[in-house]
Amino acid sequence: MILSLSWKNIWRSKRRSFVVIGAIILGVWALIFMIAFYNSFGAAFSKNAINYEHSHIQIHNPDYLVEPDIFNQVDDEAQIIESIKEEPAVKSYSGRRKVNGMIASSKTSLGVQIYGVDPLAESQTTSLEEQLTDGTYFNKIKRNPVLISAKLADKLKVKIRSKIVITFQDIDGNITSASCRVEGIFDSKSPKINEAVIYLRKSDLNRLVGAEGINEFAILLSSSEQIDATKQKLSGITNNTVRSYKEVAPEFNLMEESSVVTKQLLTVIIMLALLFGIVNTMLMAVLERTKEIGMLRSVGMKKRSIFSMIMVETSLLGLLAGPIGLAFGYLTIVWLGSRGLDLSAYSDALKEYGFDSVFYPEIKTSTYPLMMLVVMVTAFIGAIFPAIKAIRLNPLEAIRKL
Amino acid sequence: MNVIEATNLVKTYNPDTIPVHAVNNISIDIEAGEFTAIVGPSGSGKTTLLNLIGGLDTPTEGTVIVDGVEIEHLSESELTDFRMHNIGFVFQSYNLIPVMTAKENIEFIMLLQKDDKKVREARSNELMGKMGISETKKRRPAELSGGQQQRVAVARALASKPKFILADEPTANLDSESTNSLLDIMAKMNEDENVTFVFSTHDQRVIDKAKRVITIVDGKVEADESK
Repeated sequence: MILSLSWKNIWRSKRRSFVVIGAIILGVWALIFMIAFYNSFGAAFSKNAINYEHSHIQIHNPDYLVEPDIFNQVDDEAQIIESIKEEPAVKSYSGRRKVNGMIASSKTSLGVQIYGVDPLAESQTTSLEEQLTDGTYFNKIKRNPVLISAKLADKLKVKIRSKIVITFQDIDGNITSASCRVEGIFDSKSPKINEAVIYLRKSDLNRLVGAEGINEFAILLSSSEQIDATKQKLSGITNNTVRSYKEVAPEFNLMEESSVVTKQLLTVIIMLALLFGIVNTMLMAVLERTKEIGMLRSVGMKKRSIFSMIMVETSLLGLLAGPIGLAFGYLTIVWLGSRGLDLSAYSDALKEYGFDSVFYPEIKTSTYPLMMLVVMVTAFIGAIFPAIKAIRLNPLEAIRKL
Repeated sequence: MNVIEATNLVKTYNPDTIPVHAVNNISIDIEAGEFTAIVGPSGSGKTTLLNLIGGLDTPTEGTVIVDGVEIEHLSESELTDFRMHNIGFVFQSYNLIPVMTAKENIEFIMLLQKDDKKVREARSNELMGKMGISETKKRRPAELSGGQQQRVAVARALASKPKFILADEPTANLDSESTNSLLDIMAKMNEDENVTFVFSTHDQRVIDKAKRVITIVDGKVEADESK
């Protein structure tokens, strides 16, 4: 009886019910879209940082993490390479010599990190070659070719084939300089690399520092799910420190945590707005029916039945609108997930933070039932106050209302 | 046998400021099968008396015994239950549920009492036949005339076979034809089924039909005449 009466009550004011249903649909859709958009932000940030900067796993000498000096080289390089090659989860890897130094042109000088890399391995691991916007990739200039970012090239006022001088500490602790020529100019998706990293061939850099060896292994895996297992295996075969990209760059954890908090806040804000809408509408519905509720109480309808009637009415609205909102949200995410959300208008700002200008909203399937639950809880909470108001009506006074 | 025994009823509004005695020491008994009109000018206290008898209001003093039960001793929930099973209400402005059809409105109290569907349908069909509203059973209140709505309201009040019907100005919003028709139906129900009716009214047509007329002035019984 309650269900049937509640269902009929919903349609006594179609416009009002459609307003509530519309508000719930819009709220659920907005929530799904915002969460998916936030997820795409996080995913894009991680993807770029993994593919163009940190890779999934890095290996360093433990002392290098305390004192990032050239002397603190990765131990047992050959043995690690053997193990990496045998590991099926590994897609590619790059061993890097890393030296802090200065780069000088005829116009100015800047502090940089000099990466000595194997061109092929680095290209496979961080897609460095693909990021070239000008020049060639270590195959035209014979002596000390260097790749620099467009940003650094602009600061140094240099172009392809310009001469630059790099200065750094060699393996004996002596300050040494070398003359290089710009062979390629790249535009990395990593703002950090654009800002302060230049690339030399590892063989050239090792010759200049006077030692063989590397300071860093960057390992790219087939998928992020394999990080923990691979890290564990590699940790077992070396005394070097093996770290995932999240350990290398703690900003990932910060980003993830802030993303969770932001999504929770968004949910709370949207559901609060929805809650006030529901309370307002249901309260209006109760007040409009004061006389009728008075009659119901007079003829013997109990308080708990009146309470249930209002609660069921609101829950039915949630049950009607929730799935529609979810369906709209789902379709939007499917569409945008394949087509992408183009934010080219903000590409410069996004690039500064390491983002592409096209985002692909994504959301876990498990989020949909959770969202439905949140909507139902919100509708339920929203109905409580109007339902209490209804049962507090004095039947005699209510019946006298015009 | 008395179905209603009201003894020394007093209802005072604003007892702490400017007391208004809406009902001032009224004692009346109503027997089963009576067709009683409580009459009096506006503000005389007839509706208040009806509300006290129907358990919708509580007396400041005195007792109301309905079918042997002293109703002011019942809890709110018990009183609601008591009203549902024992008292039928007919209101001046019909107070039907607008989203329900005439038939559903009639069956509503039986539904509250959890009566079987067959029982409900048989009773509602019987009452609609007696009230002459069978053709309106699928119509909603907004699609019915005032007279038809009030007949549905009377049928709803009768549906659960209460001990008596309290009707507060039931003809106030009706035209002459509807009033006469409704009064005839109620009088017939009273004659045929011994249903007890208590009206509050100042409609002469109701007064003419009533077997007993209790006149109230300033909250007191001024006259109590049986025809």
